[in-house]
Amino acid sequence: MTPPDFNALGDDDFRARVREFFAQHYPPHLRFVLRRARLAEMKAWYLTLSRHGWIAPNWPREYGGMGLDTGKMIILLEETERYGVSRVPDHGIVQVGPILMKYGTPGQQQFYLPKILTGEHIWGQGYSEPNAGSDLASLATSAVPDGDDFIVNGQKIWTTLAHDSTHIYLLARTSREGKKQEGISFLLVDAASPGITIRPIRNIAGHEEFCEVFFDNVRVPQANLVGGLNKGWTVAKALLSFERINIGSPRRPQYALKRLEQLAHAKGLFEDPGFVDKFTALELDLADLGSLYARYVEVVKRGEELGQEVSMLKIWAMEAWQRLTDLLIETAHEYGGMPGEHSMDGVDVDVLSPFYYARPGTIYGGSSEIQRNILAKYVLKLPS
Amino acid sequence: MPADPATSSTGNEHARMLRDSVADFVKRGTDIKRVRRLRETQPGFERPVWQQMAQFGWLGILVPEAYGGLGLGCTEMAIVAAGTASALTPEPLTAAAVLAAGAIMRSDNETLKRELLESLVAGASIPALAWQENAGVIDATQCTVRAEPFEAAIKLNGGKKFIAGAAGADGFVVSAQSPEGLTLYWVPAGSSGVTLDLQPLADGRTTGTLQLNDVVVPPSHVLASAACAREALEGAIDTTLVMAGAEMGGVMGRALDMSVDYMKTRVQFGKPIGSFQALAHRAVDLHIQRELSSAVLDDAVALFDAGVTGTRRSSMASRVKARCSEAGLRITREAIQIHGAIGFTDEYDAGLYLKRALTLSAWLGNAAQHRRRYAELAVTHE
Repeated sequence: MTPPDFNALGDDDFRARVREFFAQHYPPHLRFVLRRARLAEMKAWYLTLSRHGWIAPNWPREYGGMGLDTGKMIILLEETERYGVSRVPDHGIVQVGPILMKYGTPGQQQFYLPKILTGEHIWGQGYSEPNAGSDLASLATSAVPDGDDFIVNGQKIWTTLAHDSTHIYLLARTSREGKKQEGISFLLVDAASPGITIRPIRNIAGHEEFCEVFFDNVRVPQANLVGGLNKGWTVAKALLSFERINIGSPRRPQYALKRLEQLAHAKGLFEDPGFVDKFTALELDLADLGSLYARYVEVVKRGEELGQEVSMLKIWAMEAWQRLTDLLIETAHEYGGMPGEHSMDGVDVDVLSPFYYARPGTIYGGSSEIQRNILAKYVLKLPS
Repeated sequence: MPADPATSSTGNEHARMLRDSVADFVKRGTDIKRVRRLRETQPGFERPVWQQMAQFGWLGILVPEAYGGLGLGCTEMAIVAAGTASALTPEPLTAAAVLAAGAIMRSDNETLKRELLESLVAGASIPALAWQENAGVIDATQCTVRAEPFEAAIKLNGGKKFIAGAAGADGFVVSAQSPEGLTLYWVPAGSSGVTLDLQPLADGRTTGTLQLNDVVVPPSHVLASAACAREALEGAIDTTLVMAGAEMGGVMGRALDMSVDYMKTRVQFGKPIGSFQALAHRAVDLHIQRELSSAVLDDAVALFDAGVTGTRRSSMASRVKARCSEAGLRITREAIQIHGAIGFTDEYDAGLYLKRALTLSAWLGNAAQHRRRYAELAVTHE
């Protein structure tokens, strides 16, 4: 089904359409799940989005996407957070699609893109390794040419939902000459290839969201190379500036703030000046993040590229979110050390799920420390 | 050269011209030597410099054109407030041209209002607003100064504290409880029964305490009747909170720039200290505070210029004052630490910035007070 041109709608109309769509189609039991939902839970929603032409909001319409402009994209994401809609396994849509449109061959585009839209292919990201985390460019998984193939050996880790993926996009070392960034290639790998072993890793919240993936003499056709030999670093870095701003949205921590507010009301804590000060400080941390975020949104809407300063948003959003969930468990007293939902002064709250859910944000996508290094170097121009 | 969209509208052209005049003023008209020289003196600023500010039009930025002003908005005033504060300019610009002017502008005695605003804009007379009576109070209705009928006039009795720009003020806008309710009166400095005491502020300027003993005010000096006095005060105070935030923005910006520059040039262990991650990350955190402050300030200025009123106006003002006070104090405190021992000396400028931040933070409510006010306003809003 070809979706309409949503960009032609006014912002308020589009927002109303999104709300209506979620209310009509999104499974109520999957609102605010506070963890990365598995494919089995999300598959029906994936297919609903696909059927209505809503699965790839960021893709141009000629590729079967919604072709949303940045302003509309932000509205969609705001409403997604507001309604508590879980992410589908979306690496194919968010990462592989745009990368193939920019760097893929016509053959790669024709083969892979439609299968992402239909949900036939689900992608996992093979970037991090046990010894290449923040220092990603030192990755060691190797891809050695052999006839028409590469032979891939090595180990990837923190691969989100790899056990739900049919395919993995991989950064592998194809050269040990020169700078370490210049010897990396970007490969598309069928997860069913012989020699791949996927092992889920349980996280501290008890969920198996990510995995380690072992490659033992895995044959990958050379036709699956994207962007040219040793150009993988450039391909991986070429994320739209939009993706970098989304992570700093003030919407994500709102759920925890609402729960905290609800719990504090039930406990009468708004009579306690000490609590009010802590709560208001956090409320303003988010409100002020909103002001800063809106400033960057305006930049993107004008079609300008965001500079490295956007790292600020991620640091502040993720750390404020964590402070908020810290106060949530403090406010829950004894229940702050007990998993699951509990009745506290007449309200049912699970405080540990939001607390755990907020933890990895300062680690993934460049840890807070790496973001600070980036700001120090590129924005404050401090010497290294 | 590509067209700069910022200069396309008249409003932004004003902003650009003001930015230029501030830059020019900061470069020529005032310098840190002058700031140091004027510390702990009376009145602590220079009338010729005040005159220069009048010529630039700065004193009338917020004053409507009908009263001799430029009739511009908070956008333009914030530029001047931030620019002058970044140079630690000691003239009572926000105290007179925002706080006192804000109350006068919203008053209903047309004759007196015109006279006071015109002479303020011309730089001829400096008004100060005397509304506060106790520390820790941001509520203009908490007022115990009494105004009683006395023959054909009014008699004022009571005391006011924490009067910004009191030194060198030519008169005071005084709030008092009259039989009709909260009312504003114009009391020229040196009127019989008026005693002004000046107390030192951390930054070398002063704050005033006013004693009013049987001060006789003619009916022509009733500036704002009970019909508008409260809104006049609250509007003036909210606007001043935002402009104090802008001043703090100027102070923190300069203090952080100084610190970052120092980190690039100061060498220890054979390397510039800015290459040490502990310091670099500290500087980044301060930069984030500066950017948050500036983003809230921009939002506030736009909202005020769009004519926001009531609780929304006060909430926004408190957001600005809370963030900017917190950030300004933190950045200037850490500037001392980043500079090391030299930062703790009187001869180095870092201390001057900390001291201006201390006075700006404490003025009209610090961060903790404004967080409380924000929370209280949210409750009454529900």
